[in-house]
Amino acid sequence: MGKVKKQKERTFLQDLLNFQGSLNGKSKFLDEVRLKGAEEVRNIPFPTKKLEDWKFISLRDLYKDSYELASDLDVEVPDLSEHYLPESKGARLTFVNGSFSAEHSSTEDIPEEVLIGNIAKLAEEDNDLLKEHLNKYVENNFEEDVFSSFNKAFLKDGVFVYVPEGLTVDVPLHMLFVQTVADEKYFTTSRSVIVADKESEVTIVEDHIGLGDNKYFNLPVVEINAEEESYVKHTKIQRDSRESIHIARTAAFVHHHANYESYTITRGAKLSRNEPRISQRAEEVEFTVDGLVLIDGDQVSDTHSVMDHRFSHCESHQLHKCVITGKAHSVFNGKIFVRKDAQKIDSFQENRNLLLSRKGLVNTKPQLEIFADDVVCTHGATVGQLEEDELFYLMSRGLNEQQAREMLIYAFALETIENISVDSVQDLLVDEVHRFTENQLDSKLTV
Amino acid sequence: MLEIKDLHVCVEEDPSEKILKGVNLTINEGEIHAIMGPNGSGKSTLSKVVAGHEAYEVTQGNILYNGESILELEADERAHLGIFLAFQYPVEVPGVTNKNLLRQAYNTIAEEQGREELDPLQFEDHAREQLKLIDMKEEFLERSVNAGFSGGEKKRNEIFQMAVLQPKLAFLDETDSGLDIDALKIVANGINELSGEDNAVVLVTHYQRILDYVQPDHVHVMIDGKIAKSGDKDLAIKLEEEGYDWLSEGASVL
Ligand SMILES: Nc1ncnc2c1ncn2[C@@H]1O[C@H](COP(=O)(O)OP(=O)(O)OP(=O)(O)O)[C@@H](O)[C@H]1O
Ligand SMILES: [Mg+2]
Repeated sequence: MGKVKKQKERTFLQDLLNFQGSLNGKSKFLDEVRLKGAEEVRNIPFPTKKLEDWKFISLRDLYKDSYELASDLDVEVPDLSEHYLPESKGARLTFVNGSFSAEHSSTEDIPEEVLIGNIAKLAEEDNDLLKEHLNKYVENNFEEDVFSSFNKAFLKDGVFVYVPEGLTVDVPLHMLFVQTVADEKYFTTSRSVIVADKESEVTIVEDHIGLGDNKYFNLPVVEINAEEESYVKHTKIQRDSRESIHIARTAAFVHHHANYESYTITRGAKLSRNEPRISQRAEEVEFTVDGLVLIDGDQVSDTHSVMDHRFSHCESHQLHKCVITGKAHSVFNGKIFVRKDAQKIDSFQENRNLLLSRKGLVNTKPQLEIFADDVVCTHGATVGQLEEDELFYLMSRGLNEQQAREMLIYAFALETIENISVDSVQDLLVDEVHRFTENQLDSKLTV
Repeated sequence: MLEIKDLHVCVEEDPSEKILKGVNLTINEGEIHAIMGPNGSGKSTLSKVVAGHEAYEVTQGNILYNGESILELEADERAHLGIFLAFQYPVEVPGVTNKNLLRQAYNTIAEEQGREELDPLQFEDHAREQLKLIDMKEEFLERSVNAGFSGGEKKRNEIFQMAVLQPKLAFLDETDSGLDIDALKIVANGINELSGEDNAVVLVTHYQRILDYVQPDHVHVMIDGKIAKSGDKDLAIKLEEEGYDWLSEGASVL
């Protein structure tokens, strides 16, 4: 049995690696990066349920199919303007099936001093900043990970931003990753590298949208480097196709007096896995890794995070909320490391789950590994339902059941999104919550 | 307006738990009723059943509103007809602001009743006026419903909601409990402002003192799931002085 399964995984992997070389040729730098990635992939086994970190979800759906390279597909791109954020009309980089689309991008509102561009082009130009920063954060962050290596083996395009010292970028940068409808199942990667130099400030909105309900495998990796006294705000919205698989890693370095604030909203994909990894690089650092997961039907969403406190004086915050209905399954594993000499750490972690159906499933596992003694870590996990009393209270005021449920779900979710600084993103999320509750009520009525 | 006929109610999940055992009560437009009675006699249950709480099952009898049975209606549909319940224990709803709840509630009811809906600005004006009526600070509009409110503030907030929604029939379940003297006067004043020829108020209370400010037309005593006695304001005074014993004893003699 085991052997047959292994064979299948190998096929999927091997298939793809054959094509990996076809990306080569335009940039010697990227060719080498990819070569290295491919080598890594050959040496790291693909995860199965036997691994502690993967035991709650099954990757069979990923392994059982073979995939085309997205860049080989010839697709029609519909009008994308409905997905643009008004705040970012002059600050948007769009990637269609992993390839940069100049037609759908504009950076005219980004100050000239900022280096911003798509990785493919900057690599062709042999850009030194790109070469300095690419892979630095994801490679030096924690254990080996076959999917990050996979992303490296197929590294082709994505966002590179370098904000120079002292500069504040006022407009939020919209990184729009669109996956189109296609007959073939395809595989797509993106790599984004955001470097905020000393005392700079930047806001990014990482936005994954699936235009249809086709199956594809999306494997994005984001690297963040928040230098001394910088402030990086990062919102990630995942609205991939309902048949897709989304496996993502975000590696962030946070330096002295810097603040990294991230909010991850998971709404799409059949199977999604988020791996935020925050590494404290000096004393006196602040970071936030909040998340909101809204899943229904047969969706599976897994968040495995690491907050690595490596120096003294750090305030970290992780509020991870999940709303689960239908047969959906949510997994949370939040690791908090406090290294030996990292004193005066104040770390907050909470995973709250709102389980709306009998068949929904929640696995939650906070995990503290603390090797210092002067540390405050509060952590907890709860699973609850909508309170009947609250529903009755709202309905007795005249709200119908749909309105009342929606209000309560929104209220539950609100805490994780209210601090997002981009107004249109907030509006968009209100709509998502609305649609989510609407679906839920529909399915309830038809059962 | 409201006719409760031989109402028997048990707990939905546990039908052996019988709470109301044949309640009869008629309330007409323009009237103020007070319901008194010992702890656990079924006053809150009656109020919640009228408002449509699903934890209770009506096993016998009927509730007619303007001549039609409302037993099959959901809580929100009853609210649309103009029925309002001020809760004995108002529920905290963190994350939902008073303003959002009430604007949506107001407009839903207005739509159902064929009245004009209010846009956000109009609604805010309307809500501010009502806040003044019961002397609440404006910040309460933006605060989450009852979350972190003091006991008295929660009660006042119930009256504020009533003032905003302008119901036709309001059950106020111990809204006077836990209020200081000034707040009691303010709340009583609010109730008086809001009761008129077209609507009716039912005060559930343990204390005669609110009846000094709000004059009831009828006073009822509920004991063990039934209205044991009805009378006028003097009944409340007698109860305050003598307690309920004389009623239960009387009942056992019968
Ligand atoms: N959902 C329920 N499940 C079980 N028992 C209930 C339920 N609701 C009410 N009861 C019981 O019914 C009885 C009447 O309760 P109710 O709250 O109506 O009394 P009350 O007259 O309002 O009392 P108080 O003056 O203390 O407010 C009590 O014995 C109570 O425990
Ligand atoms: Mg009561």
